[in-house]
Amino acid sequence: MIAKPSIAFNDFAGTAKDVTARNVQGRNILSVRAYQSKVCTPAQATTRNQLSRISREYKQLSDSQMQAWEVLASHMKAASSIGNPAEMTAHNAFVRINSNRLLVGKSILRDAPSHISNVPGVVYDEIWVTPSDLIIKGIVHQNDPLKLVIKMSVGMSAGVSSGWSKTVIVSPGIEDDWGDANVRGRYLKVVGFAPAVGDKVFIEMYWLNTDTGFPGESAFASRICVTSEEAEAEGYVKRNKITMDDIKPDSHVSECDVDFSTGAPVISFDTVCLGHSNVASSEAYLEEELPADCVGTSMALARGMGEGNACFAAQSYIIWLRNSSWDGSSITFAHRGGYYVKPTEVFGPGILY
Amino acid sequence: MFNSTGNNFGAGSIQFKDYQASNYVVLNAKFSYDPTNAAYQAADVLEIYVPDLSIDRSAVAGVILTFQDRYVYSSYTWNNDGGTAIKSWIKDKNTICLEKFTNFDDKGEITIFIQALYPMLNQPGNPIKGTRTRINMTQETRYLYWSSDTFCVIFEHWVFLHMQFSSCSYSYRNQPWEAVMGDFPTDVNADVPFLGGSNQYNPSVNGFSLAHVENGVFTCQERMSGFDSTGYDPFIFAFLVRDGEEGNGDVD
Repeated sequence: MIAKPSIAFNDFAGTAKDVTARNVQGRNILSVRAYQSKVCTPAQATTRNQLSRISREYKQLSDSQMQAWEVLASHMKAASSIGNPAEMTAHNAFVRINSNRLLVGKSILRDAPSHISNVPGVVYDEIWVTPSDLIIKGIVHQNDPLKLVIKMSVGMSAGVSSGWSKTVIVSPGIEDDWGDANVRGRYLKVVGFAPAVGDKVFIEMYWLNTDTGFPGESAFASRICVTSEEAEAEGYVKRNKITMDDIKPDSHVSECDVDFSTGAPVISFDTVCLGHSNVASSEAYLEEELPADCVGTSMALARGMGEGNACFAAQSYIIWLRNSSWDGSSITFAHRGGYYVKPTEVFGPGILY
Repeated sequence: MFNSTGNNFGAGSIQFKDYQASNYVVLNAKFSYDPTNAAYQAADVLEIYVPDLSIDRSAVAGVILTFQDRYVYSSYTWNNDGGTAIKSWIKDKNTICLEKFTNFDDKGEITIFIQALYPMLNQPGNPIKGTRTRINMTQETRYLYWSSDTFCVIFEHWVFLHMQFSSCSYSYRNQPWEAVMGDFPTDVNADVPFLGGSNQYNPSVNGFSLAHVENGVFTCQERMSGFDSTGYDPFIFAFLVRDGEEGNGDVD
């Protein structure tokens, strides 16, 4: 039998079985040893490995580097659920900053960044959650090195009032796409299934300075999943663009971003054409019809991405955008000027006529 | 028309012809830089600093990078000038960015042709449709032949031009070329890169020849050596600002 003293109320420090007590600046802190569940997704395994890797890296720092991290830690506050925030150690600060940096694919920072950080909060217009759309609209853009981190929960009962502790990172650090952050694909990859109509989804968002690893203030929100029709009735306007999610698998493009939302006499292309059947063209077969005013012909610039002869050749492509009652809707990228190369990247504005 | 206020690759002042609307800009400029310049070598992205533009960022557009590469054999000069498309975008109201494409840095001076439309995205409304106008290329003695994809789309302040070469009568292949561009606006004056032709010494890209459009007349003084090779169809792709119609304005 283990004698369990009232360690929370005495000036006591030590470990009894899995419980550790320590006194930090007059506060008694009890912690229970954490064990790995051993069951984890590949993403969780990567994260766990990263934390131990960062910890190991800390031990390799020079004395002056550790001192700099101590100075930084003295300016940082740890979270607390009982009032005053707890003090951070240099090691804590090192792990926090560098886990944020690794999250966005940056290397471990050995020299402590300045504690002066001016990361703005996330300003946005609306969040729309439907079974087919998960999108934050009207985000006020921030330039590099700020990236947006978005955490979301699975769909919960509409009666749950606080589910932010159940959120997981669905976007580790993205740039908004002209004010939009469409995270449905990322959400499905992480969570595995879309929310159902009536489910409540909790969302936390913040900008992360990917150079210093400092996050900004979080914006918290929750939305109940509604039908697409309900969302449209409430003012959701779907952006008019074609991506890989909108084309059929037998298409001849490996990347596709055809954006009609220019309000100008051009369409914006960013598409990789693979070619097929010894024909100097590639088709993207669409799941849905094109809007009538986007049907027409376009002409855009391209550059080869191939190997060997003329691998970087500039080319011009004529692009037919059509709805056909016979074989459906499609976008055909047909080679015109320059040497034909497979694959080729068709990019930039294409005049529409 | 405006001048750049600086750049990070040692190119000196760059003069732009411009048409600026609230949701896109059309910019025309031609300038050169020396790839051995220390500033160029230190840059990851080439940046041109400009006075306030009407838009504060843009989607990617394409501009043309060209270089000269000539070999002299006794009395004959083998012209292997080449070029390709590189990416360009507006980063903020005062910065135009160019992809740093280093493959031809050993060729000496690089010349860039910006003849691009830079659009914004997520704007209200779908694209506005223009009208295709076939360019009727005429000559007193016809020796130049053009593909049916030689056309323009004319707007009040600028014009989109696509020309595609088909063939030339044998006796004129080394002569200076000139042709009247019927139905093309006469208020466009620009050097335009003519990309195409097999490039024997620089096989990763097409050849480059320089053409000129002025007062509705197309001219091309000389072509690179593999210009009329089969399958390398020379073409011109340009968004060109019309003279006297520059400056700020509304969407056409």
